[in-house]
Formats: sequence, structure tokens, C-alpha cells
Amino acid sequence: MSAPAIELRGLKKSFGLAEIIRGLDLKIEKGERHAIIGPNGAGKSTLFNLITGRFHVTEGTISMHGERIENLKPYQINRRGLSRSFQITNIFPKMTVFENIRCGLLWTMGYKYSFWTLVSRQHHLTERTEEILEKIKMTERRDDIAGVLTYAEQRALEIGITIAGGADIIMLDEPTAGMSHSETDHIVDLIRDVTEGKTLVMVEHDMGVIFDLADKISVLVYGEFIASDTPEKVRANAKVQEAYLGAASEED
Amino acid sequence: MNTTTKATASQRSATPLISLPQLAPWLIAILFLLLLPVIFNSGSALTIMNQMAITIVFALAYNMLLGQAGMLSFGHAVYMGLGGFFCVHLMNMVEFDGLWLPLPLLPLFGGFFGLIFAIIIGSFSTRRAGTVFAMISLGVGELIAASSIIIVAFFGGEEGISADRTMGPETFGFDFASQLEVYYLTAIWLVISAAAMYLFSRTPIGRIANAVRDNEERAEFLGYSQRYVRMISFCASGFFAGIAGGLFAINFEILTEENLNLGTSGVILLVTFLGGVGFFIGPIVGAVVFTLLQTVLSQYTEIWQLYLGALFVATVMFFPAGLTGLLAMHIQPFKLGKSSLLLRPYMRMLVPILVCFLSIAALLETAFHARHAPIGENEMNLFGIVFDSHGVLPWVVIVVLVLGSGFLVKRLAPELKEAWDDANYLEPRS
Repeated sequence: MSAPAIELRGLKKSFGLAEIIRGLDLKIEKGERHAIIGPNGAGKSTLFNLITGRFHVTEGTISMHGERIENLKPYQINRRGLSRSFQITNIFPKMTVFENIRCGLLWTMGYKYSFWTLVSRQHHLTERTEEILEKIKMTERRDDIAGVLTYAEQRALEIGITIAGGADIIMLDEPTAGMSHSETDHIVDLIRDVTEGKTLVMVEHDMGVIFDLADKISVLVYGEFIASDTPEKVRANAKVQEAYLGAASEED
Repeated sequence: MNTTTKATASQRSATPLISLPQLAPWLIAILFLLLLPVIFNSGSALTIMNQMAITIVFALAYNMLLGQAGMLSFGHAVYMGLGGFFCVHLMNMVEFDGLWLPLPLLPLFGGFFGLIFAIIIGSFSTRRAGTVFAMISLGVGELIAASSIIIVAFFGGEEGISADRTMGPETFGFDFASQLEVYYLTAIWLVISAAAMYLFSRTPIGRIANAVRDNEERAEFLGYSQRYVRMISFCASGFFAGIAGGLFAINFEILTEENLNLGTSGVILLVTFLGGVGFFIGPIVGAVVFTLLQTVLSQYTEIWQLYLGALFVATVMFFPAGLTGLLAMHIQPFKLGKSSLLLRPYMRMLVPILVCFLSIAALLETAFHARHAPIGENEMNLFGIVFDSHGVLPWVVIVVLVLGSGFLVKRLAPELKEAWDDANYLEPRS
């Protein structure tokens, strides 16, 4: 069997004296849709930032397809085929929707730091960009400045930028945060559609979305996984119910 | 769907390299540059136009940093200045050591030296954007300006170094002794540089520079190293600044510490911002307006820098998108076919605003004259009117004009604002 898409071994992260991630072991297989859940402050976003190279690892290893990637720069990790979105919308606000998507394509389509080709002459690039715009259903918004889009549209654009490069591992940090029900349904369809055949890792609070999308769920509490299994088994897990789902249902 | 994309692909590949509407502004600009010296053929006019062209190249290069890549530099004169200094030395080598180098190629060498120094300094200064980059550029700028005074052998100390541009091999029978020949040489380099910089902004690295400007972290998660992107933008900008330096060396045949110091670096920031950093033509507009104000205004008044400063502050405060941005604001009403709504309030505002500006200028001029004219010389001439700057009556008249026109402007402003809002919305507002 081939190496897992992502593998964590004894991963630790401290900020000063505070240990946020306390020794994580996890395997995410290729093509798996894996959700990471847990209460606020459990370290979900920190884990994302460690895997994608935003933060330095204090201890332990992260492997991607069997190769070590911990402490590489974000752009180096991205070039190996891992792309992420952000919890807080992170787009290029002064550029058009079209250009936002195109930026996500430039590196993987091999343009790199080229200053001898004109982007408008690259028909292949323009076509790919338009295909992705169609996929995220934003063709009509093509020439609008990204900064003036509605929140839900910006979230969809963010996902568009993330998947544009064709990375085989997609990491989404709370893709439905702050969305209405109908918007959430739309985004879930979109995510399912664009991550077809890819490895998906997502942090999410909306249980509906998670049970709808995920093949496997890992529950992170105070920097440790208390469970990592299929949705049904996680739902039935007593520890999880106590630590997380129970608390959530009490709130309802 | 597959067939439609194929159809559009073949359709697109049939389009020419550049379409006529895209080319038209460039052709008009070239024609304009060709005709300018026919209309303004005096020596001083040619000098002003040459200076304008050089400032345009420099400002466009500066905007590759500020507008395109979001890097605020307080020391960009260094690259233009060093390019210029090397060019002066090259001209001297042509004259005294028999180096074969036709003058028209000299700016290219200026660009080359600008690029070399951009690579050296950029290798550490582009690590971070924002304040860190700005502070390093400031420090390096001061450092090089200070060393230019110390290293006399290369920079010539306080009086700088000079050369003679006419000593090189003749190019197509031109020896560039006349201002007109220099004008056309400068104009050709202006067109080449401007076109190259425009095309640069349309390449993958040019687009990604915008992305790094907007959101450097996001760009990193798309496979781009923000540092590399800044470095390449910085080098390209240094190259074109060096070309401007070469043109400066050809035009003025002398370079001094002034070409490297903070003053010059500050002016180019001012020029670029005045024109508008968000538009490719912004720096061009800024350079033209600035050079005109600088050369023309300084002939009439000693306090021209005060007016320039006031204009700059007003631009930053009220039109942060610059003069080009001010013009671009009118595209929307024009597209909606409502620009006529603005005509009447503009016409009504015109006279009060003009009177307001002129009377404030009169106030400043009179105050300056009253304080600085030699003792006993109380008469001054303003707009062709001769009066006594120490007398009471002129002061009363000026103050009344300032207050009166200011009051009118303030009263008419809401009307203009309303017309502006109406002109910018499709539906008439209730």
C-alpha cells in the first residue's frame, strides 16, 4: 500500500511555555475526506498551520506521501501538491475575481517567475481559469473586484483559489463559518464537487456538514486526539460525547 | 462543453498579438512626442520636456515597486543616481580612453548598473515588505548619499562629476550636440522603457507582484515565495531607474550627490503618489504635472515648494488615488450617461474655487513679500496688479476675497455632492 497522504508522528507545538499541540499521531489516506473537530482553542487551526508550513514544528514529524515536510516554507509545501484555505477570508481584495483564480493557477501551470510571457496570450491559462470560475459558479462575477463580493461569494472564491492549482491534498479551515443555511448547502455541494478524487482535510464546526462530507473524523481536545474513526463510531464514542458532542447538544 | 472551449480556443488563437484599440494610446503618445518639439522649440522648453521624460521613466520604475508590488521605498534615487554616475564615467572613458560606445546605447548601461546595485541591495532589503523594507531603503539611501561625498574619486565629492556627451562615435550622423537630438533620443528611450514596464506588469511575475502586494501570505500558499517576487520586482525597478539615470547623465552631463540623496528619493515618491499609484499612467501624469509646476511655477514665485507641498497634502487627504484617480472617478457617471448632471455644478463651482485658490495664493505671496523683500521696497506686483504689501487696503481686499470665495465654495459644495451622488447611481434616488 502506498504511503498515506499525510502522516503525523509525535507532533508537538509550544508557544513559549504553553503547549498547544501535545503529541499527535495521525494517518490520512489518499482520497480520504477527513474532518478535524474539537472545541474552541483545541488547536485545530494550529495543526493546520503546522501542516501547511505557516508555523514551525516544536517536535515530531509531518510526512506527505512519505516525504518529510515539517518546517518547509509554505510555498515549498504548496509546490508538492498541498493547498489550503483560511478561516478568515484570505483573498486578493484589489484584484478581480478572474485574476484571483488565475493567481492560484500560475505556479502549477509552470509560469513560475516568468517575465517573458504575457498572461493574456496564454489561452490555456485563461481557459483553465474560466473552467474553475464555472465550477464555483462565479462566471458572472468574473470582472468584479474581489473586495466588493458578498461574504459567501468571497468564501466560494477562496475555495476556488485553493483548488485552482490542482493540488491533490486540499485543506479547508472552517469553510462554512458565518454562513446561512442555504449558503452552507451550496458550499458543501461545491466542496464535494471540487474535491472529487482528492484528499480533503477540513476543520469544521457544523456537525451537519461533517457527517455529510467526512469519511473519517478526528476529535481534537486540548492538543490531543481523543478519537479518530468513521463518523458512526465517533458519534458512538463515549469520550467524544462527553467532551464535545454532549456539550454541543446541551447548547442546543 | 468540450466543443465550445475548442471553438473559443481556435477563435482566440486567431487574434493578433496586440489589437488596434490596445495600441492606439501608444501610437497617439508617440505621435505626440514627435510633434512636441515642433510646437515648443525653445531651448528651455526642450530642457523641460527632457526633464519630464526622465522623471516619467523614473516615476514609472518607482511605481513598479509602490503601486505594483506594494513596496514603499525612501531611497530609490540610489539606483537612478548610481546608473547615472556610471554613465558619466563611461562617457569620460569614451572621451579619454577611446572606449567605443555610441551614446544612444548608454542608458542601457545605466540600467545595467542600476540592476546590479538592485540585486546587491535587494538581496537583503526585500526579505520583508512594509516598514522593514521602507526603513532599510531609507538607511541604504542615506548610506550611499553619504559615501558619495566621501569617495571623491568616483563621485567627485561636493561638485560631482561631469562629462561631454558629444565625444563618442557619431550615430547615423548625429553627435547629440543639440538639445533637439537629445530630446528625440530621450523620447525613444521613454517609449521603449514605458512599453517594457507596461508589458512587465502583464506577465506572470507582474500579476503575482500584485497578488503579493494585496496579500503576501496567501501568495505563499499558492507556491510563490513572497521574497523572490519582491526581489524580482525590485531588480526590474532598479533597472529602469538606472535607465532614467543614464538619460539624466546624457541630458545634464553632470551628476552630484543631489542625484542620490533623500530629497530626490522623496520627490519621486511625491510625483508618483500625486499622479496615482493605482494606474499605469498615474506616474506619467504625476511627472508631467510635477515638472511643469516645478519649472514654470519656480519662475514666478519663490515659494513654489509651498504650493507643491500643499498640493501633495491635499492629494493624499482628499484624492488618495491621485490625479489619475480623480479623472477615473468620472468614468462611472460617463458610462451611466449622467456626466451632464455634473456640468452645471462644476461650472458654478469654477469661479469661486479659482478665486479662492488665487486669493489664498495672494495672501501667501503678500505675506512673503512683506517679510522678505528688501527694506524700503514695499511695492509688489501680483497677477499684473501693483500694490503696497505693507498697506492695509491690499490686506483687507485679499482677506475679504479669501473669506468670500471660501464661503461660496462651502455653500455650493452640498449641491455638487448631491449632483455627484445622482450621477453615480443608475436609479434616481428618493
